[in-house]
Formats: sequence, structure tokens, C-alpha cells
Amino acid sequence: MEYRMRVIVHTSKCQGHARCWAQAPEIFNLDDEGYILPGAIDVEERDELFASRGARSCPERALEIDCVSDALLDRLLFNQHCGG
Amino acid sequence: MATIRVPEHVPPEMVKDFSLFTSPGMERMPNGDPHAAVACLHNGPRIFYSPCNTRDGRGTWVIVRAQDQRKLLQDTGTFSSHRSLFASALGENWPLIPLELAPPAHSVFRSLLNPLLSPRRIMELEPAVRDRAIALISKISASSTSCDILTDFAFPFAVSIFLRLLGLSDERLNTFVGWGKDLLHGDGIRRTAAARTILAFIDELAAMRRKEPADDFMTFVVQAKVDGRLLRDQEIHGIGVLLFVAGLDTVATAIGFDLAYLARNPTEQELLRSKPDRIVLAAEELLRAYSTVQMIRVATKDINFEGAPIRKGDYISCATMIANRDPVEFENPNTIDLAREDNRHTAFAYGPHRCLGSQLARREIVIDLEEWLSRIPDFRIKDGTAPITYGGHVFGMENLILDWS
Repeated sequence: MEYRMRVIVHTSKCQGHARCWAQAPEIFNLDDEGYILPGAIDVEERDELFASRGARSCPERALEIDCVSDALLDRLLFNQHCGG
Repeated sequence: MATIRVPEHVPPEMVKDFSLFTSPGMERMPNGDPHAAVACLHNGPRIFYSPCNTRDGRGTWVIVRAQDQRKLLQDTGTFSSHRSLFASALGENWPLIPLELAPPAHSVFRSLLNPLLSPRRIMELEPAVRDRAIALISKISASSTSCDILTDFAFPFAVSIFLRLLGLSDERLNTFVGWGKDLLHGDGIRRTAAARTILAFIDELAAMRRKEPADDFMTFVVQAKVDGRLLRDQEIHGIGVLLFVAGLDTVATAIGFDLAYLARNPTEQELLRSKPDRIVLAAEELLRAYSTVQMIRVATKDINFEGAPIRKGDYISCATMIANRDPVEFENPNTIDLAREDNRHTAFAYGPHRCLGSQLARREIVIDLEEWLSRIPDFRIKDGTAPITYGGHVFGMENLILDWS
């Protein structure tokens, strides 16, 4: 079963706190001003912990962990909807 | 008690007898805990009106919850940050830059200055910051087993980093500390005098860097262009003054509160000393628990915000120290958990006006903790002394005598 974590980046909400970058500089790339680069981030399995810590530390709620794949898994395995 | 005037549009049931300046716990006192005192607001309404909540006795709405502060501070169109905070001390009206600018001008200046204080730029500054911390701490530990953290370390450290940004030597360090104290904590006359002195200094420095450019902040500012033109004198004032006001007191105070906490909690102190890789996360928790600044916004139009009938011109307070103790946002907010994850604190505010110097500030705090803990053995608050704390527009600590004899 293919499952991959994605982090959706709401660029307009980013205010350059760089808390994500502090948690995982290889995953969250910043521009020269210190704001996150646009575009969703596909996360390698080995990076999931740090990616999710980074996303969850954003004070502006600019990073959203995409749970579509989780939902699929959940529905298949437990017949539940994505908790969101 | 003086007669308190509440505007007619404020429903009486939304008025609350609370003030960051005068409520219990906010006064100047030994061993105070003003942060715990404001945490109690979370037992009450999410928004209320405080009839006297600024230095000059103005009323403000008070936004208690983190979620509401985030929404409000992200909406710079409805809630303006321009109130001539500095210029008003001179009876003038011009903005601190970029703090008191609104979009689109804000974005122009913010983009100009952001690279100077970006995470990457701060990494380059780090060795110099660390050298400064080590020099100060080594001097203290070589000569004594006790010191006043604020005067012997925190202020000289923070101000010296600020001077380095400006390309100045430490010679005039004490003069700068004095100006900062007068401006932030002095009475009306001292504030005005300090404001004039600081402006004259900025003009002098700008003139100097125009004549002889160097590799520093002010040279960048006098050479910078927006919309194809050089900056105006008033814009240089706005930038220079903000750098001065923002960089002096805040970091030093944070260091004071942080080391006071570790002095009172020897287990936590020893944990960070033996596991220094935990300091980065711990510093974020200490920023949350002991944040010191109150953001104030001015409504640009009438708006109903979470049940509050806010009128154009009303002041709205988003105190970081209140939102950072919100139980909806932080589990057990009054427990300091140095390993706290998902710590989305607002020590540097939310929204487009997020503290421009935040990356430098947090590195200064982390470096200070790393170097202090690795060089000073088990320390505590010196017997017979008590740190004096106070509330107000910027929470603070006057003294912190540590002892490691």
C-alpha cells in the first residue's frame, strides 16, 4: 500500500517564524528573507517525525499535514474517516 | 481610585477591572510572578474592556485567547499597528519601520530588512555572539562566585550584540543602556530627553556611514533604495529607533526570567547542563512562559470581533504573556515543560509584524543558556536577595543576584 506524508504549505500565512526550519532544515526550505518556499512538500518516510514536528510548531498554522493518504489507510483498515 | 471613563459603546458587562499596569501582581515587587498573575484571566471572558491599560492611561480591549490574537494580528487591514509609539514622546507623528507601517509599504520595508535578520544571516553572526557571551561569563567566573545577571551579564550582552550590528565598539555601552532605560521606563521628561538623544545619535551615525561606508546595518540602510530612491531621513529614524527600542530591553529581560527559573529549579538546571542539546527546545518553552511584550492595535473601522463591538479608533491589546498561558492552546499552560512539543507560542507575536529580530533574539537566548550552564556550576538566587519584577507594557526584572559559591 503506497502511503506518503505531504505537508501543504499555505504560503500567504507564513510570517517567517522559521520554527519548521529549526526543527527540520532539510525538509523546510526558506527563501533569502526567511519565509518558506511555495509548494507542497512530499516527505520521505524516514523524515516523517521531524516533518510533522516542524509543521505542528508553526505559530501561524501555515503548514498542514495532508491526511488524505491516512484517510485511505484508515478506511481500509478500520473503516473510519480521517480524524483531521 | 481615579474616576474611570468607559466609552459609551462598550457594554458595561464587558468591562473588567484589570490592567497590565495596576492589577495585583503587576506592581514592582520582590519575587513577583507577573506572568502567573495574568494567567488567571483564562478563568474569565475571552475578550473584555480594560479601562486603563496603557502607560498613558488609555482603555483597551483585551484579547485573552491565542486563537483570537492570531486572527486579529493577522488582519492588519482592520487592526493597524501605527500609533507613533516613539514619535509621540516627541509630540510628533511618524511610524516605527516596519512595525507601524501598513501593507503595501510594510512589505516593501520588511523585504528590504528581512535578509539582514534572516535565520541564515543569524547563523553567520553566531560565532561573534558566542564569543561575546563567553568573554562576559569568563570575566564573571574568574573574579567572583556571585553576580547580578541583569547588570553584569544580560544587558551588556544584549547591548553589545546590538552595537556590533551597528558596527560600533562597546565603549559607549553603558550610555546606550541608560538611554534605553530612560526611554522605556523613565517618566515623561526623561523619555522625551532620551528620545531626542537617540534620534540625534541615529542622525550622526547615518551621516558617518554616508561619508565612510562600513559593513554594518546603518551603512545598508543609508545605501538602500525603495521604489528607486534612497530612504528619507524620517524613514531612517523609523528603522533606527525600532532597532534600538526592540533590541535592548527584551532579550536582557528574557535572560533574567530564564536564569531565575533555572536558579529556582535545580533539577531542570542540571538536566540542561548535562544535556545541552535540549536547550534549543527549552528556550522556546521559556519564551512561551516568560514572554514580555504587549502588542497594541488600533481599529481602522467599526467591527464586531468575537462579540465585542469594537469602534474605529479603539485600542486592542494582544498581550503575548496572556495568550501564551491559554489552556486551549497549550496543555497545562502554567507548567513549564522544557521538553514541550507543538509549542506554537506567540512570544514574537503573530501575523505580518512578527518580530523582525526574533531569530537573533532566540539565538542570543540559546547561546547565553549554553555558555552560562557550561561555565557556571550549580547556581541559585543569593540568600537574602530577591529579584524584583514588574508588569506593564513590557514585563521586566530589575535585578537577579545569582550565587554559585
